[in-house]
Amino acid sequence: MSRTAGRRGLRARIVLGFAASTLLVSAVLVTTTWLLARSYVVEQREQALTQQAFADADVLRNRLSTAGTDVGRVLGELVPFGDAEVVVRSGDDWYSSSLDVGGRDVPRALQEVVATGAAGALRVETADGPQLVVAVPVVSAGVEFYEVAPLAELETLLRTLAVVLGAGAVVATLAGAGFGAWASRRAVLPLEQVAGAATRIAGGELSTRLPATDDPDLVGIVAAFNSMVDALAARISRDARFVGDVSHELRSPLTSLTTSVEVLATRRQELPPRAQQALALVEGEVARLRVTLDDLLELAWFDGAGHVPDAVPVSMTALVREVLEGTGRPVALLDAGPEPETTVLGDKSRLERAVRNLLDNADRYGDGPVRVGVRRCEGSVAVTVDDAGPGVAPLDRERIFERFARAPGSARRSVPGAGLGLAIVAETTAQHGGAAWCAESPGGGARFVLSMPAART
Amino acid sequence: MTAAGARWTAARWWQHVGVSLRILIVEDDDSIRTALRWALEDEGYDVAEAASGEEAVRMVGIAAPDMMIVDLMLGSMDGFTVIREVRRAHDLPVVVVSARADTQDIVAALEVGADDYVTKPFQIKEITARLRALRRRTGAAPAGHQPDGAQAGIVLDHDPEAPLVLREASGTVHRGNQQVPLTLTEYRVLCELAAAPGRVFSRQALLERVWEHGFFGDERIVDVHVRRLRTKVERDASAPRLVVTVRGLGYRLDPQ
Repeated sequence: MSRTAGRRGLRARIVLGFAASTLLVSAVLVTTTWLLARSYVVEQREQALTQQAFADADVLRNRLSTAGTDVGRVLGELVPFGDAEVVVRSGDDWYSSSLDVGGRDVPRALQEVVATGAAGALRVETADGPQLVVAVPVVSAGVEFYEVAPLAELETLLRTLAVVLGAGAVVATLAGAGFGAWASRRAVLPLEQVAGAATRIAGGELSTRLPATDDPDLVGIVAAFNSMVDALAARISRDARFVGDVSHELRSPLTSLTTSVEVLATRRQELPPRAQQALALVEGEVARLRVTLDDLLELAWFDGAGHVPDAVPVSMTALVREVLEGTGRPVALLDAGPEPETTVLGDKSRLERAVRNLLDNADRYGDGPVRVGVRRCEGSVAVTVDDAGPGVAPLDRERIFERFARAPGSARRSVPGAGLGLAIVAETTAQHGGAAWCAESPGGGARFVLSMPAART
Repeated sequence: MTAAGARWTAARWWQHVGVSLRILIVEDDDSIRTALRWALEDEGYDVAEAASGEEAVRMVGIAAPDMMIVDLMLGSMDGFTVIREVRRAHDLPVVVVSARADTQDIVAALEVGADDYVTKPFQIKEITARLRALRRRTGAAPAGHQPDGAQAGIVLDHDPEAPLVLREASGTVHRGNQQVPLTLTEYRVLCELAAAPGRVFSRQALLERVWEHGFFGDERIVDVHVRRLRTKVERDASAPRLVVTVRGLGYRLDPQ
């Protein structure tokens, strides 16, 4: 048995359940109806035949009581009921109203009953179908009266009835299945709504809620679901706010620390050698703290917002050139390609930061960038930063965009930065409707690509 | 004291040549304020301090600073209120220091009259670069450059009843007989635009010329200053005709 057959869905089970119960109920009804109808009809028929037989036997007796009347002649005068035929036994002679029937059609058991002087009726199966044989002893005339009536017509009627009832049962079963399908759809619909809402929430639309309902069966589910989403959203925003708040609180002390260290630095020459070394250390650490805090605040901002507040047209070629110049790198690294139009709609300072982070990343892990390409292809603008380093193992290419991810094996102290740079790159491009990924450069080093939709011109 | 009386003029600026500039630091965090004072004194500035908004408003009158550094988050009277109060009678450059990189806060501070901003944690060279830009531009309009033009000036709006006249020699703008109370930065934006009437200046270009910001400067600073400028020099600020926006390119001054 296949797995799907073994584990049917809720809706399939509801449909099957409805169909099976309708089938059961209609089968019981049909069978009962048929049995009752059959016994009633058969009884009616037997009763009618029996009465007729008694009446005919009466006529026969009256005729025979008239002296000199012959059994054969009386038989000719009798008009039997329907297709029934009459058979009369007088001593060892058999008389019949038709050539088709005779003494042979009267069962022996019935003859024995009549021989005792009692009347009786018996159903017999013949080659022509079932027959009812009614026996009436006419004692005064010394004859036995039999009436043989075929029941085939009755059987046809009962068969037709069975077919009609059976068809009714089939229709009822199908209707039951149909109703089951409709009911299960109705029952599953709210579940599908919940599933849809859950999918949207998982996709980041935390404002998604189920619409209010006045259905008493669903009110509880809707309320529970919505309050769960409320709690989740509150939790997420609290976490995001916590990072933001902590970073905020660190800003003020770090500002006075930075400024104080700068005041010290201007008096560097007045300090003894050991104090100068200590100052250099503090300067480095304060700078690092600033960068990390900046990165944390940036990520907290992404967690809180999610859309570019003031998107302006930004030429990525110009931006990359400015970043190269601004960070003291050779502008010759820029490979702008033939397309002049590399404009995207976005947040200039955040895009700048993303490009700067990629360059810094190349410095740290790839012996510096060797080429920064800016290309436009089919509605998107891609910035490609190639380095000549050892490259990134395919398994790590996604992981390195996670927060606090660092190159494997890099000692905590040997490489500066908290591992937030590439996370910011990923968040920035995602926020601009694009994507960032890592591949292998033609020279064997790492290639970081930042791709965003081009601004429509 | 009339607004015009306390207003900056090029002549008054020249008194300060050779004299250290006085900066008022408005900051409620003692450590930051003290460290900032030391660092700015090292840079050769004369520093006054205010630890609250109320004190800041009082000090502006007493210490007569040439510039202000204002933290947005203060105690009972916040930085926005301080700037608004100061702007009632003073045109001095105001640099906002904010712990919030929140975009609405910065725009709000610019709207009430701040000239530029720095976000915490900053390095002292970021602040001094801003201050230097604000100081340098005052030297861009040397007095006596146009001995005759000083009286005539450039007529920007030939309104028969109240013409708008820019006099670079005295560093003033008049609407009819009334001096238009421009801040230093607004005045400088107007001068840049008036230097080439009809030419389009990109936001980037204005940012570099007036604020000396590089490529990554915040262009919203330009937009807010132009908006503020319009409320003071346009006949109808809701339908600007003098300083017009050129969609997607920048701003242009069309003499009327």
